[in-house]
Amino acid sequence: MVEILLNFSQASGIYAFMNSPWGWPIAESIHFLGLCLLIGTVGVFDLRMMGFNRQISLAQLHALVPFGVLGFLLNVSTGIMFFTTAPDQYLYNPAVQSKFSFMLIAGINMLFFYGTTAEAVKASEAAAAIRTRAKLMAAISLGCWCAVIVCGRLITYYRPPYHWCLWC
Amino acid sequence: MTAAGRIANYLTHNGCHYHETLTLETLARLEETVLSIWMRESGPAFFGALTLHSLAMAFVVGISLAVALRLVGVAPGLATGTLTRFYTLHWYCAGLVFLSGAALLLAYPAKALSNPVFYIKLGAICIALLLSRHFQNRFSDAERPIDRTSVRLAYLCLALWVVSVSAGRFLAYTHSVLLASRFY
Repeated sequence: MVEILLNFSQASGIYAFMNSPWGWPIAESIHFLGLCLLIGTVGVFDLRMMGFNRQISLAQLHALVPFGVLGFLLNVSTGIMFFTTAPDQYLYNPAVQSKFSFMLIAGINMLFFYGTTAEAVKASEAAAAIRTRAKLMAAISLGCWCAVIVCGRLITYYRPPYHWCLWC
Repeated sequence: MTAAGRIANYLTHNGCHYHETLTLETLARLEETVLSIWMRESGPAFFGALTLHSLAMAFVVGISLAVALRLVGVAPGLATGTLTRFYTLHWYCAGLVFLSGAALLLAYPAKALSNPVFYIKLGAICIALLLSRHFQNRFSDAERPIDRTSVRLAYLCLALWVVSVSAGRFLAYTHSVLLASRFY
């Protein structure tokens, strides 16, 4: 697995860029800006669903969410750059595994939200039961993204081979 | 080599002047305070400050970016006045950014204060926060039309957050001194 990822990184030019003098900090800056964009749009939408700033319309606020998706795409692109350049440092790192787990929960939660609740919630007269469910989903979403940031910071502290992981 | 010799060597190497020796001495003293040593050597203290800094920064920058995007014309149906109410959370988080930032600075004062990138970050954050205050004052009371100056300032705000976040990341890669006390 490590070899496949490294080969991809070298063949695509990612490895050369990331090992250039400013490659790593440039990717890190874009990664954090993407995260800020995600928190500023999806996070703000979650806060609104949780009851913060009720004066603002959820349907109007939802117009900012595509920028959250853009932020997430920036995160995924730069995340791939980190992951494939030093796969051994990420693949066997419990902080990375936790980070991915929280991203997975956030993703499932989002699919469930758009599948069951989003349309009803955007209507101003949503029923109390829907509002409660939406609040719970918003809390899960915001909690997951905050946990993703915390796990991201923890990556440096759990670099292999000093720590165990689920499959190594 | 004596401490004085090492300092002279360091200064010659980095093109520093006499007043910088005094600064390094002051920073070395600061590094030897109980609080600074605790911040550096206690894992949870440093990690806690670092994590809190990242989390709070994500909210500060995120909310600022959302308002700035609205001002440059994104989501025209969204009422600017109600969006600026999220600034309340933004200011609480800005307070946390400065507190956690001060704790991190106390842990490694020479690392940041001897690096010009730190001042770029600090300057960009201060100006961006002043712009946030301006947007909050201008658009919170009523649904004012967005004038051309506000659009320009919103673009400036976006650029300043890109600069401050990038400078924050580059800090870890551009410092020339980690601890001033190693010279004494």
